[in-house]
This record gives sequence, C-alpha cells and structure tokens, in this order.
Amino acid sequence: MENIEKQLREEAKKLLAEKKVDVIVGYEEGTLPYQAAPCFIEDPESAERLVWNKYCSVNLAKYVHDLIFQHKESQKRTKPEERTKKIVGVVARGCTTRSIVLHLQEKQYDRDQVVVIGVPCTGYISKKKLAAAVDGKEVIECSVAGDALSVTTVDGTKDIPLKEVTAANCLTCRFNNPVISDMMIGDPAPAMDVDNEYKEVDEFESLSEEERWTYFTKEMGKCIRCYACRNTCPSCYCKVCFVEQSQPKWVGAGIDETDTQVFQFMRMFHMAGRCVDCGSCLEVCPMGVDLRTFLKKLDKDAYNLFDEYRVGESLDTLPPLSAHSTEDKEEFIFEP
Amino acid sequence: MTENKANENWEPKIIAFVCNWCTYAGADLAGISRLQYPPNVRLVRLPCSGRVNPFYVVKALQEGADGVLVSGCHPGECHYITGNLSARRKFSMLKNFLSYVGIEPDRTLFTWVSASEGEKFAHVVKGVTEKVKALGPAKKLVKKFE
Ligand code: SF4
Ligand code: SF4
Repeated sequence: MENIEKQLREEAKKLLAEKKVDVIVGYEEGTLPYQAAPCFIEDPESAERLVWNKYCSVNLAKYVHDLIFQHKESQKRTKPEERTKKIVGVVARGCTTRSIVLHLQEKQYDRDQVVVIGVPCTGYISKKKLAAAVDGKEVIECSVAGDALSVTTVDGTKDIPLKEVTAANCLTCRFNNPVISDMMIGDPAPAMDVDNEYKEVDEFESLSEEERWTYFTKEMGKCIRCYACRNTCPSCYCKVCFVEQSQPKWVGAGIDETDTQVFQFMRMFHMAGRCVDCGSCLEVCPMGVDLRTFLKKLDKDAYNLFDEYRVGESLDTLPPLSAHSTEDKEEFIFEP
Repeated sequence: MTENKANENWEPKIIAFVCNWCTYAGADLAGISRLQYPPNVRLVRLPCSGRVNPFYVVKALQEGADGVLVSGCHPGECHYITGNLSARRKFSMLKNFLSYVGIEPDRTLFTWVSASEGEKFAHVVKGVTEKVKALGPAKKLVKKFE
C-alpha cells in the first residue's frame, strides 16, 4: 500500500508539473481515522496529500463528470474558438474505470479528457459494517495489519478480520483491477470471490412474492429521500433528475410511502444495465437502506438477457438499453 | 376515494399504452368489425411502443390502475424500424424488476398486435382482463388519495 501511495504521488506530481492534466481527483486523509475523503489536486506540491488505502470508498468517476460538466457550463458564453477542454486525472480502481467507460459510451466526455491512473483494489472497508462490528462505538484508532483491522474504541483494541468489514460489493467484485487505464500503479490485485456474485439475488428470488414485497417496503420505508444515493452515483448525472421535475411531476414530495417506493424503484431502474456495483450509494446512505439487493438484480438480468453483458467491461459493447437486437428473448411477451 | 373492495361487482381498471401505427389501428379494426371485448381497458395512444417510458407503467400502477398493458407492432414491423426492439429490452427488464420487488407479474403485460389483427386485439384484451380479475384489486404501490 505505502509503495503504491508513493508511486501514485510521484505520478500525480509529474502529470501536474508537465501540465498533462488540469486537476487530479483522488482521495486524501479524512477527518476521522477510518475515512478517506475525495480531493482535488491542482498543483504539484499538493500531490503529497494523495492517499490510497482501505478507506477509499466512494467512486470518483462522479467527480470527473461533475468537473468536466461544470467547466463546459462555465464556457457557455465563451466564443467557440476560445473554448478550452478540461483534462481531469483520476485515481481509479476497477469500478471507477467501469463508470468512466460508461460515461464514454454515453458520450459524456471524450477519452482524451480523462487521464486514468489505475490502481489495483482489494476492496474497501464499509463504514456500516465497521460500525456494526464495534456496536456503534466511536472508533478512535484504526489500522490495517495483514488480514485484520485493528480497531480501538473506548472498550479497548480488537482485531476484526478484514473480510467481515469489507463492503459486500467488493467481496464478490469481478473487476477489482482497472478495465482501462493510461498508467498502472502497483501489481494487479488478486481475484475476488466472483462465483458468489449473485448469491444474494438468487436467495432473494427464491423468497415468496409477499416476502419480497415486505422486504422492499420495509427497506424503502427507512428512506428519508435525502437523495444522497443519487448524488453520489456516477451513473446519475442527469442535469435535472426526475425527482426534481415538475412538468410532469413524477413523484410527490410528501411523506406518502408509495412516493418513496416509486422514487426508489425508478431510480434503481435507471440503473438497468448501468450500475457498476461500486457500493457508493450504500456507503453514503444515512439510513442504511439496502439498495444493493435490488440493484444487483438489474445487473444479473442484464447479464442473462443480453449476451452476458457486464457494465463497463469494454468500450465496444454498448449498455443494453442503449442498443437493440432482433434476437432478444421474448418469453415475457403475453400471447406473442 | 372509494376503497378497493373485491366484491363480485368489482371491475378492474386497465390502462393500455399502445402505438399509433399497429395496436391502435388494430383496436380500430376490432371496433369496425364489431368484435366484443371487455370494456375495462383504457387506451392511451403513443407514437411508438418505444415511446412508452417505463415510468408510465409504474405511475399508472401508483395512481390506481389494476393492470397495465403495453402493446406495439411486432418486432421487425415497427414504423420507426427499431422502436419496439428498444421497448422489448426495456420491458423485459422492467417486468422482471417489478416482480422481483414483489408486484404480481400478471399486472403488467406486454404484447404485439398489428394493424390487421383486430381479432387478436379483442383476444388480448379479454386475456388481460381475465388475468387482472383473477388477481383482484391492486394493493401494492397504490397511492391513497384522501
Ligand atoms: S435517478 Fe434517473 S433521472 Fe435522476 S439523476 Fe439518476 S439517472 Fe438521472
Ligand atoms: S441515501 Fe438512503 S435515505 Fe437518502 S435517498 Fe438514498 S436510500 Fe434514501
């Protein structure tokens, strides 16, 4: 890890000094012992702030999109011939690069506008799982030692196996190494437990209809509609999201539970064939709503229905709902 | 708003989103041919089945439809060449996802009816009405207006 960090800072410094990028999006140390915060580095000296560790959770592709779009917006009144391109460097692990692939496929920016600094990933520590492992006690100190996380709270120090606090999406991640990159730092990370990728979905599918509905309503009942999940989602980049539209008004703003269900259902459905399972929505949700059980289903369906499609796997296969085919399965059609 | 009570006089409300070129014309033909079919279906005409935003389906359910039918031209016969192929992709995922969260699969049905298939239109409407009737009034996702 330290080695990777050192290399990362050097590369970042070089890119900035040579003016190959305008800004580098990376992680810096957070204000709490088990957190890393996104940061924007604009001058070579600040490259020292960059970190790469087990606490780097949110998907940085979101910020790449935001930065490029803000820049584009700010140039609206500039003469076309005087407009400049903003080049963003990004510290990217597997899921981040998949989001970038999706952005590129959806023509959000050009390939030459992003410089992908690929890093290998072995999964990040889920704040929710960590909190549960220490019974919600305040974490005073936290460090990784081998396969364990040593955590200090008021009750003393204890070692927790990393597996128990690693985010669920990381445990079964298929793309923990970048799918595209302009430079790679460190050696590729070992494969994760990919065979169990759809285990939760399979289990959920085997429940009865009533049980599934009860679970769905229970989870969505917790949601306070803060929209943090949408705001952090790299695939949610719409200028005006449907929840804020007023003509037509898709979802009511009140406390009606069906409005929340419809909001969640539709937001998740907008991820059909577009969710990279980075787990950022779960990390930021203040209420601990289980969105993954549902989002992963969309992933599984896209894989099964559309030629084993995996989001962001390659630049050449378009997301299934951006394409069409005469060969698609038709079993669901009533009286074909 | 009236309570959703399943008594024997209960008749389902079904919203059908149909394309202008095939299914709507098919419905027209059924009418011209004086074919009988249940009056439970309210048609909403759209340019193409590809124009049917999945939101329309979900929103119809939320606002009290007991069933939703989406119908367009047969694959390969779309007026806009590929609109119904995009629709097919969207709706295969939508239908799966709706039933995954626990909504009865028979509440949302998708089919193809061409302009010459008046008989099929009547037949489909009959089939859909029977299916939705068998399920009873919709209770899930339904907004209550007081
Ligand atoms: S929820 Fe849908 S409309 Fe809203 S930002 Fe995400 S993709 Fe766009
Ligand atoms: S972050 Fe959680 S509480 Fe906030 S809108 Fe998303 S699911 Fe709801």
